[in-house]
Amino acid sequence: MDKNAISRKTFLELVAATASAGVLAGCGSTRAGSSSASGSGDGTYADTITFSQGSEPRGLDPAFVDDGESGKVMVQIYENILQYDTDTCDVVEGLCGLPEVSDDGLTYTFKVKDGIKFHDGNTCDAEAIAKNIQRQLEPDRTEDMPYASFNFGSIESGTGVESVEATDSSTLVFKLRAASTPFLANLAMCMSSPIVSPAAFDTAMENPVGTGQYKFVSWTKNSNIVLKRNEDYWNADKAGKTENIIFTFIAEAASRVTALNNGEADIIDGIDEAVVDTVEQGGSKIFTMDGMNINYMAFNTQSEKFKDKAARKAFAKAVNVQELVDSLYNGYSSVANSVMPTWMAAYDKDVVQTAYDKDAAQKELADLGITSVKCITYSNPRPYNGKGGQVLAEAIQGYLKEVGVDVTIDTYDWTTYKTKVETEEYDICFYGWNGDNGDPDNFMNLLSDPSKTMNVARYQNDEYDALIAKGLQTAAGSERDDIYLQCEQIVAEEQPWLLISHSKNILGYSPKVSDFHFHPTAVTFLYDAVKEA
Amino acid sequence: MVKYIVKRVLQAIPVLIALSIVVFLIMRVFSADPAPVVLGEHATREAMDAWRDSNGLNDPIWKQYLDFVAGALHGDLGTSYYTHTAVTTEIMSRFPATLELAIVAIIIASVVGIALGVVSSVNKGKFVDALSTLLALIGVSMPIFWLGILFIILFTGILHILPSGGRIDPIMQPVGGTGLFLIDTLLSGDFEAFGNALVHMIMPACALSMYSMAIITRMTRSSMLDTLNEDYVRTARAKGLPSGKVTTHHALRNAMLPVSTVIGLQLGSLLGGALLTETVFAWPGIGKYVVECILKSDFPVVQGVVLLIGVIFVLINLVVDIIYAFLDPRIKYTQAEG
Repeated sequence: MDKNAISRKTFLELVAATASAGVLAGCGSTRAGSSSASGSGDGTYADTITFSQGSEPRGLDPAFVDDGESGKVMVQIYENILQYDTDTCDVVEGLCGLPEVSDDGLTYTFKVKDGIKFHDGNTCDAEAIAKNIQRQLEPDRTEDMPYASFNFGSIESGTGVESVEATDSSTLVFKLRAASTPFLANLAMCMSSPIVSPAAFDTAMENPVGTGQYKFVSWTKNSNIVLKRNEDYWNADKAGKTENIIFTFIAEAASRVTALNNGEADIIDGIDEAVVDTVEQGGSKIFTMDGMNINYMAFNTQSEKFKDKAARKAFAKAVNVQELVDSLYNGYSSVANSVMPTWMAAYDKDVVQTAYDKDAAQKELADLGITSVKCITYSNPRPYNGKGGQVLAEAIQGYLKEVGVDVTIDTYDWTTYKTKVETEEYDICFYGWNGDNGDPDNFMNLLSDPSKTMNVARYQNDEYDALIAKGLQTAAGSERDDIYLQCEQIVAEEQPWLLISHSKNILGYSPKVSDFHFHPTAVTFLYDAVKEA
Repeated sequence: MVKYIVKRVLQAIPVLIALSIVVFLIMRVFSADPAPVVLGEHATREAMDAWRDSNGLNDPIWKQYLDFVAGALHGDLGTSYYTHTAVTTEIMSRFPATLELAIVAIIIASVVGIALGVVSSVNKGKFVDALSTLLALIGVSMPIFWLGILFIILFTGILHILPSGGRIDPIMQPVGGTGLFLIDTLLSGDFEAFGNALVHMIMPACALSMYSMAIITRMTRSSMLDTLNEDYVRTARAKGLPSGKVTTHHALRNAMLPVSTVIGLQLGSLLGGALLTETVFAWPGIGKYVVECILKSDFPVVQGVVLLIGVIFVLINLVVDIIYAFLDPRIKYTQAEG
């Protein structure tokens, strides 16, 4: 035998030793939820509710994430200076009372409520809250804080928060660079604005510490997040009712439905109309709410073919939007007659969109010499378009074929697509928007945004831009409403977009579960939720 | 033997370098720009440029590659663009799930595959052989994800006897330990949790084992048929040894050599992450994760995972070769043979 050879006995000993090391390393493990496994309630309600979503959060520090999946978990853990009302985007008190606002609209003074503690035992006072905002202001802000500039503005744009200070332990003073009506709504958003314990700034992405109804327990990557009721929650009226909340991540919608019908999940989201029957046939229930979104087709207003509104209107006349929406979305989306959903502002009654007129479209397009159109779109389903962009584009392609226009479609995955809308030359493209904060500016300023990834129509209109700037600084009320009505009328008249639909949000839930609060911002508050044992 | 191992490890280095270069170039050339994904809808062009600069994405590609290699040599595979977490942490938090599933699947595949192969070979041409061949054909032909969906429809949707996905009831999941839930729950004496983990394992492991089981069945049958015709087997029978003893002690052991290679390679494939199985059964493993990261252009994670999978493949091949020597005493890894 070679002198370097290992004997069979030695080999077996090595294998045994390796196995033993693995075994010993396994000793000492405990259950993630061991303290609550025996149950907590009085026997009427179960001690755990499981919410299943399509993917796991990007992280749990609100300063560093921008995805809805993170938001759904964070709203159980964190609270904000101000909060949205349970079922609407009206702003109500949160960690602070409603502010005093200076006459010039530039100074906001908040009073922090007494006796609020973070889950780590630290006091949530004005200084702690100020630190949360300060870390997202320039120059401390880093590029990977996706919502910091949206919520707190920037020096370059001359908007947002110039400074925030704790003048004493309960007084917080914001100074703005310019008056901003959406500012308060932004403070209630689940991105960027929730208040984290400053002691957890370095670790909150994976170990969040807030003041909310639920404390973070564990995160098993790609699998689940376990939360436990905060027994020391400061507001008895809104304390968590169920002891454990578990978020599980199941990528396929059909698998989430199976999990719901099999009792492995109590509430599921991210489903579309295709699975509604399966949910109901499995004995589960469906919850729907009009979404805060818009699904649209954009004309490239800087392209040769569609730089004139006559061409855009001619194209729009070729598409029977009502028929399109009815056939594609089976009643789970409504035709968009205004950019904003009607529950936000009922402008659709005062705004007239281009009507379907196939014959007129054919004649006008022929007169304009438009026989071919280049289209780019996305492949993935989006919250505002559960069918995905390609299906929608192909439907439009069918309508245009009937009037003698050949539409060529290039489809990209969403990540690539967001680059393509900036770099490609196209005639039309498909896009959409999910509202962030319930403010009209959040929808209407898309057509005023200098960024090509936001303003995919590449639309420029000085009158429109002036209205957007004015609306931003005008106090809520009829004068402001009128400004956005004018914006809606310009969009209808100028036709940079062909409005398609507003989709509904759909949840499936066990008939044993009640009292969850689905919010228009597409998060579900679970503090009130209970499940029959 | 030691020299042979060292030589094999050294031979693996150019393989891993080539692998890392290919993955690095594919991600850089064909993937979308990660900046808009990482920085979100509201990011300005200036913010995206600054982010690319701070992450070295504006550097020449050769410099980016050398930085990656330098980090990897120090055990630093970088930080996920998307989650800000170290790539090694991200991988290690998911790898135990993949490892556990792969081990259970390969055990099922080996036990059933070898048994079927042996039974098939000793009953060559008979009904049992035909049945075994049919099963192997089904196992090779049937897409695992489709089989997984059928399992879920039957055992979860209709019979309601198995959970549709996941590794364990989250409330019962063990914290700490090896990350292999079956072992952790057993050693902590939490038999309820062990049962729960086992029940969650049944469908994904069975679905995942089907392809490997079919391959192992066919390889065992083929190898056994060769061995059963050897002179020493005939001699053993002529000496009057019982048929079962001849099959197991004389034929099977010698037939195991090529089968062990197949098992090793199959295990390597399974450890690379069973993407479709993990997706269908919501199994929180590494295969599903890396695909999500490809879609998000999270370069450091994809590079790190592919490098890890490459290392695993190389190591498993090496281990299989070493095991050869212990299964067959005729094999010696001397310098001359090396």
